[in-house]
Amino acid sequence: MKEAKPKIKINGKDYSATVEPRQLLVHFIRDSAGLTGTHIGCDTSNCGACTVLLDGKPVKSCTVLSVQADGHEITTIEGLSKDGSMDPMQKAFIEDNGLQCGFCTPGMIMEANYVLKKNPHATEAEIRKGLDGNLCRCTGYVGILKAIRSVQEKKK
Amino acid sequence: MDRLERFVKGMGQYVDDIKVDKPLYMAVVRSPYARTKINGVKGGLNSSDLEAALASVGEGAGGASANPAAHPIFAKGYANYVGQPIAAVFSEDRYGAEDALESVDVDYEPLKPVVSPEEAIGFEPIHKGMKSNVISDKMLGKDFEPKADIVLEDRLENHRIATNAIETRGILADYSNGRLTIHVSTQSVFSIKRGLCGTLGLPEDKVRVIQADTGGGFGLKGGLQPEHVIAAFAAMKYKRPVKWIETRLEHLMAANQGRGAIGKMKLYAKRSGKILGIKGTIIVDAGAYAEGLAGFAPGFIAHQLTEQYAIENGYVRALSVLTNKAPYGPYRGAGRPEAAFFMERMVDMLADELKMDDAEIRLLNASEKPFTSPFGMHIDASKPFMQKALKALGYESMKKRNAGIGFFVLVPGAAPGEGVRLEVKDGKMHVWLGSNQHGQGHDFFIRSLAREELGLSPDEIAIEVPDTDNIKAGIGTWGSRSAMVGGSALVDAARHIKEEIKKKHGKYSKKLLLSSNYDYSEFYKFDGEINSFGANLATAKLGPVNDPEVLEVRACYDVGRALSKAMVKAQIEGGIIQGTGQVMGEAVAYDENGQLLTSSISNAGVLRSTKAPKCVVKIMENPSTLPDKAKGLGEAPTIGTPLAIVRSLEHITGKRIRSTPVKPQDLS
Repeated sequence: MKEAKPKIKINGKDYSATVEPRQLLVHFIRDSAGLTGTHIGCDTSNCGACTVLLDGKPVKSCTVLSVQADGHEITTIEGLSKDGSMDPMQKAFIEDNGLQCGFCTPGMIMEANYVLKKNPHATEAEIRKGLDGNLCRCTGYVGILKAIRSVQEKKK
Repeated sequence: MDRLERFVKGMGQYVDDIKVDKPLYMAVVRSPYARTKINGVKGGLNSSDLEAALASVGEGAGGASANPAAHPIFAKGYANYVGQPIAAVFSEDRYGAEDALESVDVDYEPLKPVVSPEEAIGFEPIHKGMKSNVISDKMLGKDFEPKADIVLEDRLENHRIATNAIETRGILADYSNGRLTIHVSTQSVFSIKRGLCGTLGLPEDKVRVIQADTGGGFGLKGGLQPEHVIAAFAAMKYKRPVKWIETRLEHLMAANQGRGAIGKMKLYAKRSGKILGIKGTIIVDAGAYAEGLAGFAPGFIAHQLTEQYAIENGYVRALSVLTNKAPYGPYRGAGRPEAAFFMERMVDMLADELKMDDAEIRLLNASEKPFTSPFGMHIDASKPFMQKALKALGYESMKKRNAGIGFFVLVPGAAPGEGVRLEVKDGKMHVWLGSNQHGQGHDFFIRSLAREELGLSPDEIAIEVPDTDNIKAGIGTWGSRSAMVGGSALVDAARHIKEEIKKKHGKYSKKLLLSSNYDYSEFYKFDGEINSFGANLATAKLGPVNDPEVLEVRACYDVGRALSKAMVKAQIEGGIIQGTGQVMGEAVAYDENGQLLTSSISNAGVLRSTKAPKCVVKIMENPSTLPDKAKGLGEAPTIGTPLAIVRSLEHITGKRIRSTPVKPQDLS
């Protein structure tokens, strides 16, 4: 099979690997770059566990080929905690019980930060709509919404 | 680092995240037919390499000796559901493993399947060596002839649901120096260990099972499934680490599914509204093989059928029936939601017949003193709880908004107790619990109980990973049991250590504890019955195409003692949304040929944020007699929520609702 060698900047660091052209971005992130904070929860791009930022915008990294991300910049959950300290959304998820099993959490936090970045004054309904592509089976979204609202409040 | 901090930083170690040198990736060749003869299998690892049947372990498992409906690890001669493992293939990477599926050649000869459990009762046996598809058939309670003014009959159903934790199943099996080391996404390292030893005939000291971070379980991950055995066997055969991570489609077709129960109920009552007795037939769809909960479930549903009512007479036939579908297993609630649905639906029917208020008819039939049901369930007086709950839920004002209510009894799976190990060394107390958390927040109650009993602060406690090499005895996490008996095991062990220190030093202090070395293990035995009451209220409305929309769900549960109020509330909220999902659309659908129609997690109905109702949680605390005073909790919202929602939809539409999920056509 033909090989490809995408070069992708993840969390500010360049990664390059020889991969099959069919490789999904999520597998580049997890297997080639070794960043396992981005999870895989389905095979139909419904669950959003693999959400990362591609050039600042959220994508489900199971819907993008590694070669499509060649030359682009990715931010994953590992890119949020600068020098080991948590970003406000990460802290809020812990304080407001925004997670239980933790599996959807990285994708959820990536999406949540984007929702507030795009619309700092988002209403609860708008936040819910923003999270519509990220499934959580544990929290009923209650703690997640509370966490996002508390980050929003603090930014005001 | 704290568990939650690891998770929000993306530093969790779920089974697919664990790095090992040169693992083999496994993929599974599965039956495309619901029922088929298999005339030959060429390629892959198959039944000619491993002929074994799944040992029955986990929640509800009985001693399954010589079970003609035991699940073969690889199908041999026949396959009995879409998704049944036939062979396994291995490759250096996950893409290669998927490709290798095509290298296996299976000669199929499809047979006519049976999909409906009611039809399956009279259908030819799907397994050789069985006289029928009925795997258990019991008469429970005592026959009676009541002098009833009113007899109401109905057929009620909860359709099958996929457990759908966001993390699918997964295992990493490694074999070195004659010993198997298993990292697995599980609710019980002990179930996996006992199951692997039983299935593969391995001595216990040759298997070590370590819980990976586990991304939700909801019942499925309490037991052992064929893929676990295949991965373990392959690791031994190929002398390489073997990794299997289930795809979501595999999860929908081949992982055990829950609910799937039918209740044909007959309620006897007086014109006053007093219920005299209940009769009926409960049928559980066991799927293609009899394992774990399958034989146990119908009797368990019957056991709690009378719920919080002082109903003197009960007589039920409880059946578990094989069909050509994925095997049955527990899903959060595991029989409890079905029992409550069957009873409360009949009580609502009686309320409508007599034009009585929903709360009034319930209070009329409540127990005023401790009561033993005709099926042997013990409850305290339910009336005081019910009166308080109606007030806490704001029933009187909410009924103007077409609110529905539902009450239930939570019968936890607390027996036979739980194991714990406390080791004090290097100034810290290390805690291993036999129950394995996968989202329940054991950390919260471990910390709060350790502070209470021993005065320890969180940084003086290390909560260790469940590992069968480090804790010898334990059960697992299911049946609303962890805070009850896991917490009580911890309290009991902590008190034991405290006594030892007092004996030695004449007094106890945290300093004395942390400056010494202790290693104490115990299995806290509990075989009693601590049942608790719960109530839910819900409001709903209809969308533009008669699609139901749930506006608000309120919950009021007696949790005994809330060991961490915030986590108790969070667990209830999450359960409310699962209960809402059951009504709004969660189901695994098969066509008449047993072909799976549900193809994605969204199809399966897992609720999205835009569909999730507002949750209001009221916690009641009537301490239990356990050392930590807790009662069951985790399953409560999945029992009560559907009851209240369907009743609200009935009030809005005037249509009788008989099954979940509710479809728009049920409402018009």
